[in-house]
Amino acid sequence: MSSTGDHDPSALPPEELQRAQIYALLARLLARAPDAEFLGALAGLDGDASPFGQALGRLAESARAADAGVVEEEFLVLFIGVGGGILSPYASYYLTGFLHEKPLAELRDDMARFGIARADEVREPEDHMAALAEMMAGLITGAFGERATLEQQRRFFDRHIGSWAGRFFADLESTPSAAFYQAVGTLGRRFLEVEAQAFDMAA
Amino acid sequence: MTDKKDKSTLARRDLFRAAGMGVGALGAVAVGVAAGAEPAEAAATATSQGYRETDHVRKVYELSRF
Repeated sequence: MSSTGDHDPSALPPEELQRAQIYALLARLLARAPDAEFLGALAGLDGDASPFGQALGRLAESARAADAGVVEEEFLVLFIGVGGGILSPYASYYLTGFLHEKPLAELRDDMARFGIARADEVREPEDHMAALAEMMAGLITGAFGERATLEQQRRFFDRHIGSWAGRFFADLESTPSAAFYQAVGTLGRRFLEVEAQAFDMAA
Repeated sequence: MTDKKDKSTLARRDLFRAAGMGVGALGAVAVGVAAGAEPAEAAATATSQGYRETDHVRKVYELSRF
């Protein structure tokens, strides 16, 4: 039985893999609007009676009712817009009111520490919720090298996500322009609540 | 004899299960997400103001590559 931390060769516990998959799902939905095929897959989601399960069920319902073209328009209005979308899901924006601020600098430090590099073609700041969710997924599964320990994950979460992302998802949930994405807001908010609880437990 | 790590692992598992995040909650979506393109890359394309690289535009560039 290993007592040397998380460098043992055992497989990732299924519930930890599940966390990574939920982060990956959020990343995918926030990076771009789901196409018709992905909406079809989302329509099959089946949640239980828990708050998170209900959020999955609501996302499935929204996917069933959705038209891909309409969802793409919704995505544009929410996140792109002409002079900027309605919401700016960036840590810097939520924490300082501006983009490209200290939260981004701190994130870049941690990315370097974990060996996470920004893709060459990407010009947008890395403190976007989609990118952060992708980073969490990679830290959990070891996509960037070694798997991050729970303590490392918790610190990353606390530094770069915990202080603002819940508010972003709540904003997404409540903005009138969100229909399909309202369910994404609920899912993200409830997921992060569970994440925070679980991290507190492991501390 | 369980060490602290094992207890913590079990506690987390129980929490996630109770929260509705039991294994298999995502079903086929988990597979779809794994097979999807890099979100961070797509985020850059999607969030650029003005010029938007739709699939149509991407295809044009792809076809005009030498």
